[in-house]
Amino acid sequence: MARSLFLFDMTFWLYLAALVLYVTYMLAKRPAMSLAPAGHPVEYSDNDSGWAVQIGQVATIVTVFGWIVNSLALFTRAYERMQLSGTFAPWSNQFEAMSYVSWAIILGYVLLEFRYRIKAIGAFVVGIGFIAMGAASLLPYRYQTAEPLVPALNSYWIYIHVSVTLTSYAAFAMAGGLGVMYLLKERAERQGKVSRLYASFPDLETIDELGYKAIMVGFPLLAFGVILGAMWANYAWGGYWSWDPKETWSLIVWLIYGAYIHARMTHGWEGRRAAIYAVFGFLMVIFCFWGVNFLLSGLHAYA
Amino acid sequence: MNGQEHIAVEPDASQQSPGLGWNEIKTELVAFFASIKLAMFLFIVLAMTATIGTVIQQGERPETYIKEYGEEAYRWFLRLGFTDVYHTWWFTSLLGMLCVNSLTCFYKRFPGVWRSMKQDKVNVSLPFIKNLKQTTEFSIAASKETVAEGFVGLLAEKGYRVLAKNDPQEVTLYATKGIMGRVGAHMAHLSATVIVLGGLIGSYYGFQEFGVCLEGQTYHIPKGNFDLHVDKFWIDYHENGSVKSYNSTLTVLEQGQKMATKTITVNDPLVYKGIWFYQSSYGDSWDRIDVARVNVKEKDTDKLVGTVDLEWQKEAQLEKLGLKLLMTDFVADFGFNSTDKKVYSKTAEHANPAIRLAITEGPMQTSPWIFYHYPELFDIKGSKYAFELVGYQPKKFTGLQITKDPGVIIVWIGSTMIVVGITLSSFIYHRRLWAKVIPNENGVTVHLGGTTHKSQIDFNKEFRKLTERITKLST
Repeated sequence: MARSLFLFDMTFWLYLAALVLYVTYMLAKRPAMSLAPAGHPVEYSDNDSGWAVQIGQVATIVTVFGWIVNSLALFTRAYERMQLSGTFAPWSNQFEAMSYVSWAIILGYVLLEFRYRIKAIGAFVVGIGFIAMGAASLLPYRYQTAEPLVPALNSYWIYIHVSVTLTSYAAFAMAGGLGVMYLLKERAERQGKVSRLYASFPDLETIDELGYKAIMVGFPLLAFGVILGAMWANYAWGGYWSWDPKETWSLIVWLIYGAYIHARMTHGWEGRRAAIYAVFGFLMVIFCFWGVNFLLSGLHAYA
Repeated sequence: MNGQEHIAVEPDASQQSPGLGWNEIKTELVAFFASIKLAMFLFIVLAMTATIGTVIQQGERPETYIKEYGEEAYRWFLRLGFTDVYHTWWFTSLLGMLCVNSLTCFYKRFPGVWRSMKQDKVNVSLPFIKNLKQTTEFSIAASKETVAEGFVGLLAEKGYRVLAKNDPQEVTLYATKGIMGRVGAHMAHLSATVIVLGGLIGSYYGFQEFGVCLEGQTYHIPKGNFDLHVDKFWIDYHENGSVKSYNSTLTVLEQGQKMATKTITVNDPLVYKGIWFYQSSYGDSWDRIDVARVNVKEKDTDKLVGTVDLEWQKEAQLEKLGLKLLMTDFVADFGFNSTDKKVYSKTAEHANPAIRLAITEGPMQTSPWIFYHYPELFDIKGSKYAFELVGYQPKKFTGLQITKDPGVIIVWIGSTMIVVGITLSSFIYHRRLWAKVIPNENGVTVHLGGTTHKSQIDFNKEFRKLTERITKLST
């Protein structure tokens, strides 16, 4: 037990270090402030000089290392669960679920960084991953340990339903982080501020498009996750939909993003409005994930 | 989704007589019900109203609401249906509207998608290309055939389906890719209605019942016209004492014939003739116990003279004391109905347990109720002894959820459609390109144009890259 908790702790500190490094990277001095044209993210490291390059590289290394430790922690927890009760899903309680979400967020970010070479996003997305990990470690100890599963959860459905749903949350978290980033940069541009900080950001159109893409990943995943939950409920309780607070809230979140996806097809729903909406959507995800468990009662009360 | 419809010119619309004929009304109605704005409105209103039922407990007894919110609020709850939000006329109407919305959208837009899958849109004019969202124009010093062939090869390599028309004075190209993205969106639109249909079929032709069943008993299932026998019920525990699983072995009987036997547990139901038996819960029975321990005391001396473990409805003889004891009844929460003079259990809780004891003491026969919490409540007249119920082992019942839902398969079909549909429309986007290669003095002029219905940035990028590669064709 203690072994996985130690690794989860390490993950927390590594993500904190990564966050600090990404923020430092954004503030670090770089001479060239050329902006990438739309859809053409420039290799920022080419323009970076002095400390920025090194700090950026160290930030990436620390993030990847943190992600590896996070993976190890989840594996160790899975092993501990296997020893305990024969099921291994390392996302069987709130703490494990949070750790898995931050794992998925960081994985998504690392893939994004390797594909688009934009490091400034790290300060926001790794930030959310860090907060998720931090919130998990703030849970009381008894929530952090692996207790045997209650009979209703003791099923192979837990492997796929929970992981798919949590991965969609991670995608929405990413979109939320990008939304915040967009709003900050947009405000700075509107006020005519040119600072070193905002110059490290990718251009607005790119942030907007990436945020949209993250939601396009999360939306089908959430649909799949909710439907898997319905199938599980049909197997465990004899009804695929019972308007239990958790399933209702996941439907609410899905509807909110459904409105977003349709809105994107009408004019005027890119940019600022979309970014505000993405942040709002992410707040709803947080409520669905956390609020429902602690404020509302229902069948999912154990998770 | 928008933008596509404006490409094709529809001259017949202007041919209609002016005024408010059926066609105008129909066009207006279709436009309204197929609109994206209506979809957004419904999504948001459904999301907002759905929260009500998660904040206010649903389907509780009136007292619960009055206690928590007060009488005035409860009256409003009833008026607005807040105690059962998801089955109110207005909530179901919103769901119905969503179905109408998505079906109308399908009706209005899918034919266009179908046409662009089937039709060869290679007969276009030069102004048409110049009016597209993305356009460019450049010259290449090469023959029209060379450029056209190179262009077709390039587009095919990119995964486009290409059609070309070679006229003496020009070559026209039409290329398309990713139509499945739009087909997916429409598949998702249809799925809403399919899922709602499955739900309706379930609520009309299905049923849901809850059975409190005891080991060793047989129950008739009228809706399936067969019997269900509970062979066994037991609970497994983890090492730390928490419940690991609870299980019932069930046998289906038809006219006394064993048809099927299965041990069900949570997450593993029995299915027989479309009826599903789920292990839903368990608990202590309120009208049966297995064993009761009774102490027999001498009234005069208050001395314990015997202890007996009585089994359910099995007579026990205490020869030394000249007693015959039989436990005939049990209630978990003693209640007495004075009108029909019957004893019953007020609740399922073991709040005031009592057994009924048939006592034969020599010639005397009596059958008093013995209370677990009040041992000295009644004195049994004409008996030397006092009887105390000191303990008992409750009979566990197995809670079975009995369900039939012929609509569930339709719900799964709809679910598959929505997941596949959304996935297709999220990751594939429809692109269309048109080009005309027209010879000029030094070679050819290429007019290229294209549209997409989303992912404009990706499309811009692709368009630019394509242009770059085509201009290099001559070299």
